[in-house]
Amino acid sequence: MDPIDFFGNHVFRMVFLGTTTIGIVSGALGTFAYLRKQSLISDVISHAALPGALLAFLTAVVVFGINGQNMLLLVIGAVITGTLSAFFANMIAGQTKIAIDTAMAISLTTFFGFGMLLLRIVTNAPLPGKGGIQDYLFGNAASITRADLTTSVAVGAFALALMIVFWKEFALRTFDPVLSTMLGFRARLIDTLMFGTIVIAIVIGIKAVGFVLMVAFIVTPPAAARQWTNRLSSMVILSAVFGGLGSGFGAYLSISMGNVPTGPMIVLLLFAIFVVSLVASPKRSIIVAGWRHAKARHALKQELLAEGESR
Amino acid sequence: MSYVLGVMLLACVTALACALPGAFVVLRKNSMIVDGIAHAVLPGIIVGFALTKDLNSPILILGAALAGLVVVLGNEWLSDTGLLAGDAPQGLIFPALFAGGIIMVSTDMQHVHLDTNAVLIGDLNLAAFPAMILNGVNIGPEYLYVMLGVLILNAAFIAAFYSKLKLTTFDRQFATVLGMRTRVLNTAFMFLVSMTVVAAFKAVGAILVVSLLVVPAATAKLISNRLDHMLALSAVFSVVGALAGFWIAYALNTGTSAAMAVIYGILFTLVAIVEKGITRWRRGHKAASGPNELVTVRAKR
Repeated sequence: MDPIDFFGNHVFRMVFLGTTTIGIVSGALGTFAYLRKQSLISDVISHAALPGALLAFLTAVVVFGINGQNMLLLVIGAVITGTLSAFFANMIAGQTKIAIDTAMAISLTTFFGFGMLLLRIVTNAPLPGKGGIQDYLFGNAASITRADLTTSVAVGAFALALMIVFWKEFALRTFDPVLSTMLGFRARLIDTLMFGTIVIAIVIGIKAVGFVLMVAFIVTPPAAARQWTNRLSSMVILSAVFGGLGSGFGAYLSISMGNVPTGPMIVLLLFAIFVVSLVASPKRSIIVAGWRHAKARHALKQELLAEGESR
Repeated sequence: MSYVLGVMLLACVTALACALPGAFVVLRKNSMIVDGIAHAVLPGIIVGFALTKDLNSPILILGAALAGLVVVLGNEWLSDTGLLAGDAPQGLIFPALFAGGIIMVSTDMQHVHLDTNAVLIGDLNLAAFPAMILNGVNIGPEYLYVMLGVLILNAAFIAAFYSKLKLTTFDRQFATVLGMRTRVLNTAFMFLVSMTVVAAFKAVGAILVVSLLVVPAATAKLISNRLDHMLALSAVFSVVGALAGFWIAYALNTGTSAAMAVIYGILFTLVAIVEKGITRWRRGHKAASGPNELVTVRAKR
């Protein structure tokens, strides 16, 4: 399919713009999760978004009697439970002798189990407007509407704006948490803001790519970007570019190939970008490291030989 | 055997089969790798199906367990490159495998009845449906005996390699220095975990199986300082949670595995709070009695 046909179609345009927005926002904010060494918290958050979205839906329909399939409403619900799950995991790791990885698994499964109970209730109950609520779970890029896109762009831009406004605080808290606390920055407040922005990035993506694959949008672009740069600012930008390019190009490919689902296609492309970066980036990569290693061995060998001859 | 009793026993046996290796998973800090293994089950089954064209073939189970092992070894390899920070390696491979699986299902196998949602969520009642009939007597669900086999296999492996597992878990470097082949043992153990996840996902789903493996063991870890105590307590918590979850789901007419996961989470939180409270109370008690003792000693002088 040629690009003119592609962008002439409303649904395709929505898919392309929607996924690119998700890729840029999650790529940029995922950098902080990566540098805090808590990339997998994104997996916890994306699973914990389920009960939040369902609770928001139930509240809207049962309590207020309005249409529950409002993206902003579901996003707010999901942001609340997503943030709670991240705090629950960090609280377990901080307060008990359970390590952070186990704490994350506990938080993930508890919130997700609760979400599954709610899903069964929603499916069994005769509620209006519950059709397509599964899309919020398993992701369907074709279901992105113009209103969804507006919400994603607005909420995503808000998260990115927060990142820019609190850039110094985020950077300091990431690289030197002790100094940051000593200088009087409130650690809890900065953490809330930082994880809050990450939660937003995850939640706006779930409808398009599903909660299982969302983790790849947060983890993969920063892991690839890290191989090319040592500066925070360029890492954030590069990670956003990788995320945006992978998503936009993946959406285009999946649609022009016909039957291929968009979310998985994007994830495979992001993974390919990561593999290329890991194997062949000019600064730090497997090839460069191997070459340096071989060069050092060779130099040492020459040195030892020369020493032996001189004796 | 009645159907309800069969489902209840299945819930208990599945929980037990997961909880035993779970204790080592928690101690080895592999909890989130299990999450990755669980997600790799789907692509493993799909590749197995592409090769065998039979949804009930045992090769499917082997394929899924091998896919889980790909996640484990890939994670180790990525970590060993030293080019990645934190837990990122664990989050890189399984989404790619999962995405590949979804693409294979939706392009090549649209005619196959393979519900990806069912793989993630599971259904205990459905899994317990085909009954095993011996001499005309219904002796419970067929699947109960599959999980019983997994439970026995896990228990036997842990019993046979108990001291080695213990040493590699608590001091891997020392074990290596002693000449133990830690990598082989580790791979064998993770393959067993992978098999357990594959066997259990049909009943409890690929995501909630993580709960069965990790949460009872973590709860046990809160209140034990010895490996054998921890194993015993994990078993107790897993069965208590399975029974409670089963009856709550039965009463509310919801999914058993979801109810079990929520109960395990609540149980963990309660034990953590009580343990915290007791520790604080003891400390407070000591602090309160400490100066008094000093006073009495001084008074005696």
